[in-house]
Formats: sequence, C-alpha cells, structure tokens
Amino acid sequence: MAMLLLIPLALVSGCRRQGGSDELIVTGSTTILPIAEIAKERFEDKYPETKVLVSGLGSSAGIESVSNGSSDIGTSSRDLKEEEESLGLVDTPVAYDAIAVIVHPTNPLTGLTKRQVKDIFTGRVTNWSQVGGPDKEIGLVNRDEASGTREAFFKIALDKEYFDPTAVVLPGTGQVRSVVAHSPSAIGYISLGFVTNEVKALKIDGVEPTPESVVAGYYPIQRLLHVFTKGPPSGLAKRYIDFVLSSAVQDDVVRDAGFIPVSTQVRAEDEDS
Amino acid sequence: MTSDPRHREDASAGPGTSGSAQGVRRRVEVATLQLVSRATYLKEWSLKTLFLMCAFIAVMGVLLIFLFVGLRGWPIFAETGLAGFLGGRVWHPTDKAFGILPLIYGSFVVMAGALVIGTPLAVSTAVFLSEIASPRVRSIVRPAVELLAGIPSVIFGFFGLIVVRPIVADLTGGLGFGPLTAWVILAIMILPTITTLTEDALRSLPNGIREASYAMGATTWQTISRVLLPAAKIGIIDAVILGMGRAIGETMAVLMVVGNAPVFPEAIGKPISTLTSQIVMDMPYATGDHRTALFGMAIILFAVSMALVALVRVVSRAGGESQGAG
Repeated sequence: MAMLLLIPLALVSGCRRQGGSDELIVTGSTTILPIAEIAKERFEDKYPETKVLVSGLGSSAGIESVSNGSSDIGTSSRDLKEEEESLGLVDTPVAYDAIAVIVHPTNPLTGLTKRQVKDIFTGRVTNWSQVGGPDKEIGLVNRDEASGTREAFFKIALDKEYFDPTAVVLPGTGQVRSVVAHSPSAIGYISLGFVTNEVKALKIDGVEPTPESVVAGYYPIQRLLHVFTKGPPSGLAKRYIDFVLSSAVQDDVVRDAGFIPVSTQVRAEDEDS
Repeated sequence: MTSDPRHREDASAGPGTSGSAQGVRRRVEVATLQLVSRATYLKEWSLKTLFLMCAFIAVMGVLLIFLFVGLRGWPIFAETGLAGFLGGRVWHPTDKAFGILPLIYGSFVVMAGALVIGTPLAVSTAVFLSEIASPRVRSIVRPAVELLAGIPSVIFGFFGLIVVRPIVADLTGGLGFGPLTAWVILAIMILPTITTLTEDALRSLPNGIREASYAMGATTWQTISRVLLPAAKIGIIDAVILGMGRAIGETMAVLMVVGNAPVFPEAIGKPISTLTSQIVMDMPYATGDHRTALFGMAIILFAVSMALVALVRVVSRAGGESQGAG
C-alpha cells in the first residue's frame, strides 16, 4: 500500500523539480491529514495558480521525506527523535491534540491520576472501588485500531502497554461518546474537541481538560501536531504554513477536527497578502 | 403431456408466420417434432443461450470469488500453519498473532444462541400461519414477517444498540455488548427465513393427512405436534440450516452489538467478536500478513457456508429417500 502511494508521489515530485514552481508537497501524519486536506482546498481556492499535494503516510515517513527533499513539508504527530535532530528541520506547531477520558455524568469520580488511567485501560484495575468509586465493574470502551486517537492514547496514556483485550471496541468517536453517555459504569476516551455535556471529562492528575490547560501544557494526555520544513519555511511552503496558522484554518478546520488551535501563535500578517 | 411442447412452439411462432404456412408446418410437426421454421429455431436458440449465460454468470461469480479469496488468503496458512491459524488463541495482528479460534468460537456462539431463541419462535409462527390463523389474521401477520426480511441489517444493529443493549446492560451488569444482545437481534433477523420455509413445508403436506388426523378424533394440537410437524420435519430442518447460514454470515448488525473484543466470552453480557465483524473492523487499515489473515478468515466463512448448503442437500435427499421408502 505504502509503495502504491509513493509511486505517484515520486512522479509528481519529479515533474515539480523540472518545471512549475507552484506545486507544494505535504506528506506525513494521518492525524494531521484532515487539517492539511481542508487547508489545501481553501489554499487552492485562495491562490488558484498553486497546487498542493497532500498525503498521509505516517509521521516518520513525513519527517523522512521532508529531510531528503522529496516533499516540501513533513507533518508529524510526534516530536523529533534524537537521531532526527541533526537533519536541519525547523518545527512549526500547528495544533494541540488532547484526549479526554470520559465517564457517565452520574459517575461520582471527578478525576483520576495518569497512572490510574493506565491501570484501568490495561485491565489491571477492573472495579470502580479500586480507584475510589462505587463497587461497580468498570465498563471499558476502546476504539478500533485504525483510529488515530487510539494510537495517541496508546502512546501517551498507556506508555505503549497493551489495551485490555476484553474491552468493547467501537468504530467511531460518536459511538464511544453515545455509549458512555448511556452507561453509568462506562469509561472511554475521545478527542477533547468532541466532548459535550452528555459525558463527564475527568481531571487527569488534578488538571481539568480545557483548551487553556492544554495550551499551557498542564494537561498530561496531549501532544502537539507539528509541521517540519528543511530550514526555515520559505516561498510557497511559508505561505501554506502561514495559511494553516491563520484564523481561517485554526478557528474553523482545526476545531472541527477535534483539535485545539495554537492560538498564541496565530500570525495575521499574511492574511491580506 | 406430449402435446405440451408443440403447443408452446406454435404460440411463439404465431405472429411471424402466415396462416397457410403455419397450417403446413403444423402438419409436418405432427410427424417430426424437431422440424420448426428458421425464425423459431433462432429465437429458441438465442433464448436458450441467454438463459445459459445467466446461469453461467452465477457459477462464474461463485468461482471467481472463491478463487480471489482463496488466492489472497492462502498464504496465511503457509505463514502460520493451519493449526496455528485455526487453533491460535490470540488475535493481536499488530503483534503478528493471527489465531482466529476466539473468532470462530464467537461466530458459533452467536449463531447457536440465535437459533435456540429464533427457531421455536419461527416454527411456532409458521404453524400459526399455516394451521391456526384465520385468513384475516394471516393477511396481517404474513406481510409483517415478510417485511422483517426486508429491513436492512444496519437498522437491526441500530435497534440493538439503542434499545436492546441498555436492557441487557441492566440484566448482566456490564455495558450490554456481547452474545446476549446479538442473540436477540439475530433471532429476529432469522425469523422470516425459518418462518417462510417452514410454512411452505407445512402447506405442501397433502391435505389428506390433516383430514385423516381430525377424522380419528385428534385435536388441533395433537394434529400439529404428532402428525404435521413430524411429516414436515425435513423441510423444517432445511429452514433451520438456512437460518444458520444467515446467522453466521450476518455482519453489520452483529458488529454493532457484539463488542468486537477478540477474546473467548467470559459471560453472555461480555464483549466477543465474530469472523465477519472482525473482517469489517480490520479491513480499513490491515496490510501485509494481517490483510492475508482476513482473507484467510473469509475462506473459513466460505467453507462454513458451503458445508451448510451441502448439509441442506444431504438432508433433503435423505428425507426424500426415507419418504419414498415409507
């Protein structure tokens, strides 16, 4: 599959090097894909002479391809690894991805520690009384393996320890929220942007998940979504990144995708160009 | 009987040929049945070919799907071994653990429970429709049963998720995802299949045995339980086997209520997974061996459904023979 996706990419990048200068190749994280795709459409509407090619092959592929020059922008849902720091890549954060741990509104608990969250989702803790709740079995709700949220939760909250295999697996954020909203003993996780008052988002390590606590860096189950360029962004790449950081994308596309805007970094100067 | 085919050929040749020619031909036909006009012959030939091709497409469809699934899935048996694949107790594709025993077990648990609940319900409905209901009641119940067959399975799944699951959750103390919810939904889903076929079997019984039973002074209940159901036994078994096929192949409704946890069930209210639902859950992102394993699961499903069809044939034949002997 990856090969199939790479072939047209290689062809296109070949064309670009020869002729037109108005093509931009964005490769990388599937988590960032929804933002990059819609930003691409709006960017092309705004600058009809440009063409942006967006693909999602995973964060590592994004970092690899931007450092070897086969794409202009690499997107990533993780930080650079040690061995990648010498590649001369410049990091621009574009959004926060925070995951809320949700329970039924009648659940008396208001918060858990990150350690307790890990114990619950790996199946070491199976009763609410073990974490200070009522004597009731915990109903675990998990996402399917294709989910980017599951991937992030697995890495950040579970430190890559395996999920309890007996957990209910549901194929969508909406389904997780709906089942937790109707089941007093349930616990699940969804992107912070999709939390409604049908469910209760628990404090983690005493920190309430809010856009403010996420942006301030206090909320423990969160990560930054990055775009990387080889050297400081310039030309078309800079225009595209500035567009992604503009309020047109941040307040609309980023929020719709369930992420939190990097509002402190919004640059308005390119809005009128 | 012998005049029948000639009659049909005449009718089809009708408008194309003039009256006198038809008269001549009819006389010739009496002598040799095969001699027909060229136009009729062509028409017959092309229709025959058309129908043959339609039948051929069905056969090709089965063959192509079998080949496709077989070729894509076969390597997994070489990779993990037949015993490792069918007998493996852990399904964890990201760890290259491709044991589908929990999924096979889940499929059969779900199917068996649905049959246990659904069969008595369906056979009773069929008996009611065929033997007890007045024509007016029947004209309401039968369309309702037939309508049940036409409801898309995703609607059943939705009904299960929203209505049945919370009830099961209250009863079992879990989240309500698991075999019990799937049983209830599947029992309703296989009801039309078993009811319709059982009713057909009951209606095809010669009326004489009913009349004989009543003439001996048997009550309605005695006639149904001692005479009609035993006489329609083979048809009912066929109906149940086809219901089994429907239950084991059902995907969407099961996926929505079963919980999709690829483990051996701890209780009837705890999540499990089935072959079909796991294929749908994993297909969007599976690559490499994982994808091959999903096709391997499809081979197993194919084999199960072929076995069920074969079973129907064997049962029907055995039934035919025993009835012929008796």
